[in-house]
Amino acid sequence: MIELFHIWKQYQKPFWALNDVSLQIKDSDFYFITGPSGSGKTTLLKTIFRETLPTEGQILINGVNILKIHDSRIYTLRRRMGIVFQDFRLMFHRTVFENVAVPLQVIGVARKEIRRRVFNTLQKVNLHQKMWELPSRLSYGEQQRVAIARAVVNNPEIILADEPTGNLDPELAFEIISLFKDINRQGATVVIGSHDRELIRHFGDNILFLQKGKIVGKEGHP
Amino acid sequence: MIEKVKFFLSLTGNNLWQFRTRNIFSVTIICLSFLTVGIFMSLSNNLRATARELSSNMTVAFYLDKGMPAAAVDALHREVGKPAFVESVRMVTPEEALEKFRLSFPELADIVTGLKANPFPASIELRVNSKASASGEVVAFVDSMKTRPGVTDVQFNQDWVEKMQGFSRLAGAIGAFMGGILLLTSFFIISNVVKLNVFARKNEIEILRLVGSTNLFIRIPFWLEGIVLGLLGSLLSLGLLFVVINLFPIYLGSSLGALQELLRFRYPDLTQAAGLLLGGAATGFVGSATSVSKFLKV
Repeated sequence: MIELFHIWKQYQKPFWALNDVSLQIKDSDFYFITGPSGSGKTTLLKTIFRETLPTEGQILINGVNILKIHDSRIYTLRRRMGIVFQDFRLMFHRTVFENVAVPLQVIGVARKEIRRRVFNTLQKVNLHQKMWELPSRLSYGEQQRVAIARAVVNNPEIILADEPTGNLDPELAFEIISLFKDINRQGATVVIGSHDRELIRHFGDNILFLQKGKIVGKEGHP
Repeated sequence: MIEKVKFFLSLTGNNLWQFRTRNIFSVTIICLSFLTVGIFMSLSNNLRATARELSSNMTVAFYLDKGMPAAAVDALHREVGKPAFVESVRMVTPEEALEKFRLSFPELADIVTGLKANPFPASIELRVNSKASASGEVVAFVDSMKTRPGVTDVQFNQDWVEKMQGFSRLAGAIGAFMGGILLLTSFFIISNVVKLNVFARKNEIEILRLVGSTNLFIRIPFWLEGIVLGLLGSLLSLGLLFVVINLFPIYLGSSLGALQELLRFRYPDLTQAAGLLLGGAATGFVGSATSVSKFLKV
């Protein structure tokens, strides 16, 4: 379970990127965070995987206060998560295969197993034929799918995705969210930051509405 | 574990290849540094070996007055043979001395043939046993003999042994000094090359952190890079050292004349070669580790 208690985040005075956000995301939830640009979706996701520290507040994941985890132990938190970044964050001088394999390599999975899992995952995002290409030779949408494959390849407990369909055509966007939904059905908690109303309407069980860093509405779980 | 080792090695290989220009530059600097150390080391090896050779083969020659009576020569011969450190004593007649000179310097044969009288005096040659060589007892004995009537000159190669040992120490010290400065340069160059590599891979490091890498996992490839650069540099310097050792006598040997023997290079022994290699690896590792811990906030 992901629990946020009174999260405040300020990058620059006097604006608050997050303004007293409290939230509870249960295990195996499929959760959308939505709102206009600059509403705090990305900041909220970043605080959950501790790329950004909140100015105030507490975040518990399965009862553990992640703000108290020592920097050198952060990997224990991140290994349980799959993250899709808005800007993809791919390694552009490494192949698609190498990019997707990284989360498995850091936990020491055997090479044969890495090959199998990376291939299967790339097949799911329909990129297996471009496995040995460099990301720079792929389209924007394909790069996004590489980022998604990297996030799900190690079957994480929690998936955090920031605008994962932002550059995809509606059909592919649908497929990608369906993929997240499949992973969710297998038990993973999925939190997606998106402003794609169509997708949210179709898949959204739980929706959090943000505006200027404040929660302005919730649907689904209280 | 094996998978991780394979992964690190392949990552290190990729990284070295990716930034090959700057890596070649740093390998060249390391190579030149270690080559300097190696050249002085092999020069010092030769001087040390020459000094050892001389001291194990220490002789004293007492040149005798031409007018010295035969009985006095016999008495001196017996007296010279008495001390315990003497291994052998031999009387060298003027004819033997002339013959020895002729054999040693064949190019001066014409001069020797043209001589009206034999200019060489008789001498007594004493060989010191190896245990006592260069001991104070021998030196004192030789000094006491210098003032004996009938002894015109004394030639003792202990001075040469001391000179060789001095030269050897000097060559070692110059090598250590210059090598030290160059090693320091290598250290800074590796450190800066790794720093540039860290900056160039900031994005990748960030990604590795976000997907759950440990700090060690991020650092190891950089450490390995430093070690490989250092090892390659020192290995190359060993190869070049062997080339220098082989080519030096061909190109400069004959022009050095009498200095040829002293300026001869001797191959470093196995321990010294291993020392150079380990030194390279250590320089690379320390340079890289310093840079990584300073510029990589993990």
